[in-house]
Amino acid sequence: MELFINRIFDGLSNGATYALIAMALVMIFKATTLINFAQGEFAMFGGFIAYVLATERGVPMWGAVILAMLLSALLAAGIERTLIRPFDPADHLPLVIITLGLFLAINAIAGIVWRFDPRAFPELFPSGNATSIGGANLSWYTIFTVLTVFVVAGGLTLLLNKTKIGLAFRAVSSNLESSELVGIKVGPTLQFGWAIAAAVGTLAVAVFVATPVRQIEPNVMITGLIFAVSAAALGGLDSLGGAIVGGLAIGLVQSIVVPYVGVPSELSLLAAVVVLMLVLLFKPSGLFGTPAVERV
Amino acid sequence: MATAPRFQFTEGTTQYRTYKLIGYGILLLLILIVAFAYSDTGSITLFDNDYKISITRVTKAISFIIAILGLQVVAGFTGQLSLGQGFFFGVGAYLSAWLVADHNWPWLLTLVVIIPTCFIFGMAFGIPALRIKGLYLALVTLGLAAILPSLILLDKLEPYTAGAAGKQTDSDLVPPGWLPLDGIVDALHKIPLVGQYFGDGDGLSSREEQRVWTFFIMTIVAVVCFKMVGNLIKSRPGRAIRAVRDNETSAAVNGIGLAYHKTMSFGVASALGGVGGMVYVAELGIASPGDFTQLLSILFIVGLVVGGVGTLSGAVVGGLVIAFVPDWASSTQNFPGVPERWLQGPTGGLILGIMLIVLTFVLPGGIVAGVRRLRARFVRVNPARPPLLNADGPTIDPLADSATVDAASVKT
Amino acid sequence: MSEQRTEVLDVSHLEGGYGPIQVLHGFDFHVAEGEVVVILGANGAGKTTTLRAVSGMIQRTGTIKLRGEDISKATPPEIVRKGVAHVPQGRGTLPELSVEDNLRVGAYIRHDDEVDDDMDQWFDVYPVLRERRNQRAGSLSGGEQQMLAVARALMSRPSLLLLDEPSLGLAPIIVQDLFDRFSHINKDTGTTMLIVEQNAQLALGIADRGYVLESGHIQIEGPADDLIHDDAIRKAYLGV
Repeated sequence: MELFINRIFDGLSNGATYALIAMALVMIFKATTLINFAQGEFAMFGGFIAYVLATERGVPMWGAVILAMLLSALLAAGIERTLIRPFDPADHLPLVIITLGLFLAINAIAGIVWRFDPRAFPELFPSGNATSIGGANLSWYTIFTVLTVFVVAGGLTLLLNKTKIGLAFRAVSSNLESSELVGIKVGPTLQFGWAIAAAVGTLAVAVFVATPVRQIEPNVMITGLIFAVSAAALGGLDSLGGAIVGGLAIGLVQSIVVPYVGVPSELSLLAAVVVLMLVLLFKPSGLFGTPAVERV
Repeated sequence: MATAPRFQFTEGTTQYRTYKLIGYGILLLLILIVAFAYSDTGSITLFDNDYKISITRVTKAISFIIAILGLQVVAGFTGQLSLGQGFFFGVGAYLSAWLVADHNWPWLLTLVVIIPTCFIFGMAFGIPALRIKGLYLALVTLGLAAILPSLILLDKLEPYTAGAAGKQTDSDLVPPGWLPLDGIVDALHKIPLVGQYFGDGDGLSSREEQRVWTFFIMTIVAVVCFKMVGNLIKSRPGRAIRAVRDNETSAAVNGIGLAYHKTMSFGVASALGGVGGMVYVAELGIASPGDFTQLLSILFIVGLVVGGVGTLSGAVVGGLVIAFVPDWASSTQNFPGVPERWLQGPTGGLILGIMLIVLTFVLPGGIVAGVRRLRARFVRVNPARPPLLNADGPTIDPLADSATVDAASVKT
Repeated sequence: MSEQRTEVLDVSHLEGGYGPIQVLHGFDFHVAEGEVVVILGANGAGKTTTLRAVSGMIQRTGTIKLRGEDISKATPPEIVRKGVAHVPQGRGTLPELSVEDNLRVGAYIRHDDEVDDDMDQWFDVYPVLRERRNQRAGSLSGGEQQMLAVARALMSRPSLLLLDEPSLGLAPIIVQDLFDRFSHINKDTGTTMLIVEQNAQLALGIADRGYVLESGHIQIEGPADDLIHDDAIRKAYLGV
């Protein structure tokens, strides 16, 4: 029982990261039905920026994270403007190729600049355990990571529903042409989506590695992206709430189901991929997504 | 085309045959040069860096070329964006390593197991592709590619895969005794002027002989693969899969079985991936889990796009690029104007990433499209039966690359 | 009489199309202040393309003057800001957004504080929209969506409204009501309208003038009353 509850807690904190990256993917998918395969690498890069600011420039930890979120948002906005916008948003192949190119390039740049040795990331949350349930310890880290997810989701929901840029973003997501016809500049609106996604991703990685158990290194998000993609697909690729449910569910599957059915830990990734495949086969719109209508 | 190309040929004429023969001749010559000039340690020195063109790397490139050829079938010609080719490459590699190391099979015989296995696996994977389309398919196949290393590391499979240490094979391809590879090199070495580039005058060591022999055999394997894919593309099923790529709905209403053709093309592609994996291990002598991550699958996409989507020769160019660029990047220790730090580390990945992005902008048809555009200025081949067509008909590629398509028409 | 009024839209030598396919082969038309002008034509004549050219959705050449200012190089968002609202074919509502958000998006370019008042006014005109203000636009019926699309376009307080086949796919009784509404809007607010239609009877009924477009050329033009009695038009479009 104790072990079981501990696994739930582990699953929640892992799932929180997947949920955050999944939300970043959703922000871009919602607008353009594009998957940014470089989203994990964007996030890793942002995490490193926070790391450098905090450990080498002496910026207070949370300030460093927020600054890194802003910087990575700017960076992503620049990338969107130069590498993404020149292409027709409806034609996915060149865009997918570009994001794969970004994946390789960003991973390599991080490897060149920071090398591949893992580094300890400063803690963002109080250490130690908050309480103990049934003998299992619930750490502050777990509580705060899950809380972060809900804060981010709340923030994004407010941003999308209560601001003018949010309204424009939802309009563009719904119907690109009609949005242009009411005077929305589609390019900058999509750019806003990329920026927000990058900021959320940066926060995700910062939170993920802000525990002594984990360290930051250029490959930190390589498999994380697969988990996040599965999470986003499970929840529905255009649903922020779905991303949370999907992320936490994938996290829990990874830490509970996998050991319980006697599958070795290496196969948690397989579990995520199987989930991804089943969802896409039987319910491509995910649990909470909008079903796509195919017109011929 | 403002000015007429300098050389014009009409299909079926003697001149055209000569032109084609010269093309194939150059290709054959290149193969021989690679085999005998670089069996030892061929290298080019530039800015104090040694760039090795050793034959083993060319053989490695051949393994990639075959895998990318498979990707051409499924992505280039059928329009299904698969990021999972590395999975089949890895399966082929491990299957052959296991058969050769534990059961003493000869390398080529392992294809008898690899081809059907990968074909069936691939077809099974083509089944979800019937429902999962475009980007979703890319996601699923990327997931597939990502899980191979963890499958290899499974405790239950360790007796067969040797786990994290990698599956070692001691068996080499040994040239038959009657083949005087040694003598050929020495004879070439005696040619005035160019002879110095062939060997060092003391023949080939048995290790070198094996390398040359492996290269020859794998080149033949590749040529057979290309011939088969080339014929497939020109055949009735080939036209069918291209119809599927161009417009699924109209293909279906014209009586083309989408399910059949998609799963078949996944099967063919995966089988070629497996063959590539065999070549890879036969050359390297070891299969290690770290070689078959999703990164490999992404590299294959780089090769596909950089070479040219939907062209057979694009696979050759792409395979060479992804085999040599990372190697050469890591042998570059000094480069004027580039800080040393940027030359140590994953510079190759950076170059490939940038290449992918830049080519998507400036040359969506890949390097092959660029070369063709260039060649079109000098050479034009007119179709065989001009009476019905006007004389400015489309040019036909002498290297039997039919059905060129630019990257834009692969659906995502 | 229209000649004395100022021209809202003055188009000459309009050419345009999609990629290599040219649809519009160079023609002229104009719309004066307060007018309702209808462009008639069969499928494929280039009616929709004409509207898309005016609002900047396609590559086009020629001059398109909006109150004297050339907008032939402007982008759709710029043209909207100059007072042109376009209700595209198939209504173009934002199906995932609520009815209210659809209307708010319509006022996207406005920075005044009368948006809520305008919205209330449209809710008065179309009470069904008020009832469903929090429902997703995609859940409305075809007629309701068309009302919403028109209301949304008018939320930007345009001086020129472009309507692309508003009758498409709607029941006759709803269409009649819709066109009556257009007529009222035109009279009440003075909004100039350019309507593209296949339903010649209805459209000419509320229009001041009309053009007949065929294969990218204007074949006939004249006051609506003349066109409605024109034999060729009666044969081709009125089925009499």
